[in-house]
Amino acid sequence: MSADEFDPEIERLFGRSPPLPDAALFNAQVEQRLQKGSHVRVLALGLAGVIGGVVAIRETMSVNLGLTGGDGVVAGDALGQGIRSTSLGIQNTVQLGLDQFGLGNLELGSLGGMQMFWIAAGALIALAAAGVMKLSQEM
Amino acid sequence: MTQVLIDRHDVELAALAAAGGRREFGELVRRHGSAVRGLLRRMGAQPTLADDIAQDAFIQAFERCAEFRGEGTFAGWVKRIAARLYIKRVAREARYIAEVEQDAVAPTTDHAGLMDLDEALKGLSEPERLCVSLCHGAGMAHPEIAAALNLPLGTVKSHVKRGLDKLRARLQPQPAQSLGGTQHVG
Repeated sequence: MSADEFDPEIERLFGRSPPLPDAALFNAQVEQRLQKGSHVRVLALGLAGVIGGVVAIRETMSVNLGLTGGDGVVAGDALGQGIRSTSLGIQNTVQLGLDQFGLGNLELGSLGGMQMFWIAAGALIALAAAGVMKLSQEM
Repeated sequence: MTQVLIDRHDVELAALAAAGGRREFGELVRRHGSAVRGLLRRMGAQPTLADDIAQDAFIQAFERCAEFRGEGTFAGWVKRIAARLYIKRVAREARYIAEVEQDAVAPTTDHAGLMDLDEALKGLSEPERLCVSLCHGAGMAHPEIAAALNLPLGTVKSHVKRGLDKLRARLQPQPAQSLGGTQHVG
């Protein structure tokens, strides 16, 4: 057999691979690892989402909407009051949650506004990605 | 459902796996698991190591499934991933082939007929075995192998050529020896 004839022959031989006796076990191990990896990913993204959500809520509460300014708009004042009271309620709830996790001293205000914006945006994107991934896995 | 998966083409299953379909990917593992494990063993990996790397390769393939566009075969694609992982592992374990020529193990079968490829590969040195397997088993081009193994291209070509020569000598059927063949006329 010449070298030219042998090349396709050797490729054919390499392509012919007998099924291994423990193939079922191997398949199960791969499946198990995929499942484990998927759980870890969902957990990590979920956690990132929760943290992002908390940061976003805190940031939202500290935004000055300027509705209570001195331009004499009564409706704006009322709306501003409403938002402030709602924000206070949410802030208390979030603060309680943070205290429970030992994060009561978390000083988010020390970061710049732009930094906080990007952190919050990133976290929200992570949350959305986790949601999409979860949905795709359930389909 | 299983029947449906069995009927589907690899490309179709890979597309579904890219969208997160683990069942579809499981079918691909069922179809090609042995081939990938077999190639790693032929490259010289011990069975346990070969299985570990094959698992890593399939996990990586699942994560990168969207990259598989069906230009080649799915099995070939995973084999290349596995081959690269094996090279990395070997390099990390400092068991690398470098330029050291290692002694080949003599094949155990006799030369009566066609020898099994796996047996024939045992007759090659480690670099020859690896280069031939990467070239003809994983479908990698010589420059690609040279880059992956960090060897000069000429060295890779020599390993492949010498390995193939040895394989050809071992795998091709031996001519019948003097069974009513030549007659001496005296």
